[in-house]
Amino acid sequence: MQAFTICYRNTQGTLMRILNAASRRALDLSAVRAEPAAHDHEVTLVLDVNQKQVGQLYREWLSIADVITASSGAIRTAAWTAPHPPSGVGIEESRAAARA
Amino acid sequence: MLKGADVVLKCLRAEGVELVFGYPGGAIMPLYDALEGSGVRHILTRHEQGAVFAAEGYARVTGQVGVAMATSGPGATNLVTGIADAKMDSVPLVCITGQVRSALIGTDAFQETDVFGVTLSLTKWSRLVRTMDEIPEVMAEGFYWARSGRPGPVVIDIPTDMLKAKKEFSGPVKFTPQARPAEAKAEGGFSFTNTIVTMLQQSSKPVALVGAGAKLSGAIPELRRLLDDLNVPTFATVHGLGAVPPQSPYYLGMVGMHGTRAANMALHETDLLLVFGARLDDRVTGDPTRFAPYAKIVHFEIDPAQLDRVRPCDLPVMGNLAATIPAFQAELRRHSLPDFGAWRAVACGDERAELDPRGLAQPTIRFLDELFSHLPEDNVVIADVGQHQMWAAQRYRSSSPRGFITSGGLGAMGFALPAAVGVQLAKPDTCVLCVSGDGGFQMNIQELATVRRLGLPIKMVIIDNKYLGMVRQWQQLFYQRNYAETDLSDNPDFVEIAKAYKIHSFRLNEDAMREFPVSRETGDEIDRFLQSPEPELLVFDCAPEANVFPMVPAGAALSEMLLEEEPSP
Repeated sequence: MQAFTICYRNTQGTLMRILNAASRRALDLSAVRAEPAAHDHEVTLVLDVNQKQVGQLYREWLSIADVITASSGAIRTAAWTAPHPPSGVGIEESRAAARA
Repeated sequence: MLKGADVVLKCLRAEGVELVFGYPGGAIMPLYDALEGSGVRHILTRHEQGAVFAAEGYARVTGQVGVAMATSGPGATNLVTGIADAKMDSVPLVCITGQVRSALIGTDAFQETDVFGVTLSLTKWSRLVRTMDEIPEVMAEGFYWARSGRPGPVVIDIPTDMLKAKKEFSGPVKFTPQARPAEAKAEGGFSFTNTIVTMLQQSSKPVALVGAGAKLSGAIPELRRLLDDLNVPTFATVHGLGAVPPQSPYYLGMVGMHGTRAANMALHETDLLLVFGARLDDRVTGDPTRFAPYAKIVHFEIDPAQLDRVRPCDLPVMGNLAATIPAFQAELRRHSLPDFGAWRAVACGDERAELDPRGLAQPTIRFLDELFSHLPEDNVVIADVGQHQMWAAQRYRSSSPRGFITSGGLGAMGFALPAAVGVQLAKPDTCVLCVSGDGGFQMNIQELATVRRLGLPIKMVIIDNKYLGMVRQWQQLFYQRNYAETDLSDNPDFVEIAKAYKIHSFRLNEDAMREFPVSRETGDEIDRFLQSPEPELLVFDCAPEANVFPMVPAGAALSEMLLEEEPSP
């Protein structure tokens, strides 16, 4: 597993294009986190990829109009092992909130 | 105060658009209502796919952005094949689609389709317009991305209420992209040039491969000068045809699945492959693990996504060929290269230079040779998809970089006739020859009405073998002649169909090509056909089981090409 962080301008469809580069190769999106970062946005993806796919993904991400940078690094365990949705919000509570 | 539709049309004019191709419908009606007096000429096709292929034809032959318009829902989804085609073949294209009014988006309203979502993976850039205010910015940015870098398709989806709304309009705007950090650093110079020269000095069998990037970059003169300096065996992809003058002594023709034996053998044997603007897709490489097995690869490319797709390259040269080629050539002229004469003599020698003589005797090939030899100098050939496409690509001889147009990457049958409409409108004084098969012609046969309505003098040829010929060829060679669902022997009479559209048409039997040279009467008939000021259709009856050779079977190495029919195992 490898974590990739792609910094992008949060324009229509840019995040979907970033994700599509992985999904068109039938890669499982094990974890995805997108959030504002400085003046732009960044998304971190955890993917199980081989070396050839890494190169292809980088180049494909960088050819997307509003992608600014792409980098990879070790998975930050604490960030990625947290339950999602946050443990403080159980699914029943969510449902109740939605019904209310 | 202007309506959104007027703003769209003013933005189109500001981008230099004079012609758009389209088909009206509910959600895009306000845009059609505003067309008159806008300065934008609309060409009505008889299907949205015809519109988008026509826009592609226009863009491919001019290098300018082609524009197609369609309504929401089925109108927009009918554009999808053309959008995918433009993505594969790097065609600058802007598709403007009407959308249901904003309040209805997401409600599965009548003729509502999420065209933004449907085309997300096929477009270079797209927008669903949210307010009338953003129309000028969206139009400017859309045209920028369609043209820039590796050109490609853009979709701009506009809800019908945005087209109807009125606001103050202060004029079209210009879009300037924000530079990426990597791009800002890259402008320091061309350090690669020295490395390539060293690689050439260490090479004994260098070759050059030319792709579509050569014409897209506008660097044809620079490329030709460089190739003359290099004087190494050179070949082209189907989209690179015309970039290298075919009479050049080092030119070996088309490479790949149906490329020439000489080109494929040279590519297999080379120790240094210089690639100029080609994607190296599977139709060019054959088995990627055995592609150019002894070669180091230098890949000149503008789109980073195209590097290392099939096989890693040893030296990527990123950038527009118009900048990288002169830099390379300047360095090259400061050094001397080894004498590649012995290698050239082998690679370009007579033994490998031509098709199998039995192939040349084939009537369809003779017919195409005869047809092409009668073409005036100012011509464009548009080929559909299938056997006729490969025969035409093999036999095409022209130095016009935009003279051979076809759906290469996507291989979309039905492309040629509507694309020819776009080409003829862009080049009204040029002889436009549209070569189709009987299968592909029927996929957009309705565009005969567009040809007739506009009086376009397109010369249409159907190579009629009453089969889906290329699929049948594969069935013959690799599926034990199980011709499953490829028989088209119940084709309509194309001559009669053309007559119904008031288009002059006639039939030529392949027997007319059995004598060599062909009879004077046949030659005169072809001359008359090509010189007619009216649209004409020629149906050439071809042997049902004629095959295209050479052929590299799918998954085989380029050196394993079939030169003639071999029995099924």
